[in-house]
Amino acid sequence: MDFNFNEDQRILTDMARKFFEKEAPKSLVRETMHDRKGYSPPMWQKMGELGWMGLAFDEKYGGYGGSFLEVAIIFEEMGRAAVPTPFFSTVILSGLLLQDSGSEELKRKHLTKIAGGECISTLALVGKSGVYSKEEIGLEAKAVGDHYLINGAASFVPYAHVADNIICAARTSPASGEGVTLFIIAGKAEGIEIIPLKTIVGEGVDCVVNMRDVKVNQGQILGEPGKGWECIERLWPKIAVALSCKCVGGMKKAMELTIAHVNERVQFGKPLAALQVVQHMCAEMFIKSETSRHAAYHAAWLISEGLDCEKEAAIAKAWCGEAFKDVTKIAHQLTGGIGFTEEFDLHLYTKNAKNLELLFGDGVFHRNVVAGRVGL
Amino acid sequence: MDFKLTEKQQQFREEVRDFLKAEMARGIYPFGSIHLAGALSREFSKEVSRKGWIGLAWPKEHGGQGLGYTDRIIMLEEMFRMAAPMAYHYMGDRQVGPGLIHFGSDFLKREFLPKILNADACFALLFSEPEAGSDLANCKTTAVEEGDHFIINGQKIWTSGGHYAECGWVLARTNFDPSISKYNSFSEIIVDMKSPGVTIRPIINIVGAHSFNEVFFDNVKVGKGYLVGKKDNGFRQIMTNLDYERAGIDRLMQNYRVKEVLLEYVKTNKRNGRPLSGDTLIRDTVAKIEVEYEVARLFVYYVASLLDQGKIPSFEAAMGKTICTLFEAKLADVATTLMGLPGLLMPGSPEALFDGVVCESYLWSPSYTLQGGTVEVLKNIIAQRGLKIGGK
Repeated sequence: MDFNFNEDQRILTDMARKFFEKEAPKSLVRETMHDRKGYSPPMWQKMGELGWMGLAFDEKYGGYGGSFLEVAIIFEEMGRAAVPTPFFSTVILSGLLLQDSGSEELKRKHLTKIAGGECISTLALVGKSGVYSKEEIGLEAKAVGDHYLINGAASFVPYAHVADNIICAARTSPASGEGVTLFIIAGKAEGIEIIPLKTIVGEGVDCVVNMRDVKVNQGQILGEPGKGWECIERLWPKIAVALSCKCVGGMKKAMELTIAHVNERVQFGKPLAALQVVQHMCAEMFIKSETSRHAAYHAAWLISEGLDCEKEAAIAKAWCGEAFKDVTKIAHQLTGGIGFTEEFDLHLYTKNAKNLELLFGDGVFHRNVVAGRVGL
Repeated sequence: MDFKLTEKQQQFREEVRDFLKAEMARGIYPFGSIHLAGALSREFSKEVSRKGWIGLAWPKEHGGQGLGYTDRIIMLEEMFRMAAPMAYHYMGDRQVGPGLIHFGSDFLKREFLPKILNADACFALLFSEPEAGSDLANCKTTAVEEGDHFIINGQKIWTSGGHYAECGWVLARTNFDPSISKYNSFSEIIVDMKSPGVTIRPIINIVGAHSFNEVFFDNVKVGKGYLVGKKDNGFRQIMTNLDYERAGIDRLMQNYRVKEVLLEYVKTNKRNGRPLSGDTLIRDTVAKIEVEYEVARLFVYYVASLLDQGKIPSFEAAMGKTICTLFEAKLADVATTLMGLPGLLMPGSPEALFDGVVCESYLWSPSYTLQGGTVEVLKNIIAQRGLKIGGK
């Protein structure tokens, strides 16, 4: 067993970290959080030039044929940078969904653009309840002649307002095959109304997508009609692991901020770090970040090897999601008043941690998967 | 990055499993105990020795197999999974042998390594004292030089297996110069537990079991050849040794049966006519245990991989032990609560489910976060060595 990155992976980590340190200073992060676009187009363009959007995809679609481990590294570094980007919605939610379930034609048409960094794409999955289940999907597609009309609302759709394409999960009526069907639709298609939400992580990230008689044809169906939910389920471990890696980067940075603080801050005539109770809280953060790192990369490695990882991915997300949040709680207790201010960087992580805990399944959700895998 | 076990390692796991199945089927050894003292069988240790699995990770020139720590973890994982009776060779294999290989004289290596490898000597560790628990440097036991001998006087406590071990690994003060740091005042000495002047008094723990002892030394005479390593260097030697102790899988796996029992109980029982396995809260409770177990298990393999790369894990071993003991301490609590009143039935009771192992484990659990360094001491190590904060 070898738990270490190889040379290429170390170089990529280093490169990504330096990139975000230079291109995504915390001033930009704060600005982006309050910006209705929700991302920085110049930075996005530079990420594209580095080829990161193509890391996960086959060379025949313009990708670099890298393994999922490379993608995992980018996610860890994005988590550390705490910078909002449409990378997750474009590469994971859309790109990998297309790669794993899309027809050759759709891949040539859409995946090549994603891999080339030429478009932003997203997935409209959940309804307004925000519950990840087939039953709670808020869009419905009715077959009318040789096309479909989609009506309803999807919510918490990341970057829908700036997306070139939106993949929609819609319930299809019994006549056209019961179940969920995925459609790929232009973001500017007629009948779509997009309203950005103000969430814990910003004002231009998640959106409500309202659809009124949005007309789509058979060629826009991703995967088989009525089998869309199965495609989503197949994608789920990759989603869970990408987000877990983001948690890992975030919690490491939150811990580092806190350790710098306890080393500098003097009370009772000595640095806080000299107090054993403080050391123990720091040790707890360290335990969480180290265990999370191994859990996340173990699952990422399984994906990159093409091995079954449903259980390990669920373990990673259940563990890392809660660990990141727990680290920010300890960090707040240790940084006191300054940690509660807008000017100190910790809150960027506090907000991301809560968001990541709930995104695509919280601890209870993923532990339910684990329970299933141990025979319950 | 590569999390795969090699083909050879996977085969080795199968070999250990087959061996254990066959040995268990003979029905002559005490399999199934969740604590070491309940798992004593020199005959079983002899069988393990015949396979060459004592000293598995010791270098070949010292009679070991020269295999890796990952191999050793694989073997122990399977042994603990079946709760195999390893008490007789356990300390010798894990700690005493590697300690002698590191620090011991040629005489000591010749004298004891073959005995450990052949399951002809069982060791007990005699470090703690009434006044020296976490603060081990407060030991009062003395070993005074007298000609070719040390004369040992003092009292040790919490000596696991002291009542069945033939040999004791004793920490005693050998330098009495007050101007010298306490940390440079101790030595490690091997003592024959049958020596005149050694008195062993049993201590019964809250489970009702006799696992550890008080040991008194009254002018016990030991030849100077039984000094391990350098005189006055014992404290440092112990610290290195402890890193190996903490790098193990013991604390994760010793209660493996409780985890199995918990799963089986939930799979096979109903409450109010509904299967427990369909209850959301119960599913989450069991899955929490499973997640924590898998996370800890991965970490144990990580620590083993560090050892295999020639690194001595210090804060990593402390971290591994912290995670494992916290898991172990929680396991029986969760299981007893989930089972409800039947979870209170002790071994031997009428109506006891799974031989009362869940309740028994609950009573053992306060000891897990104490032995081999309390969680608090381990967290100090993690902070000071791992994060480089607040060091002395």
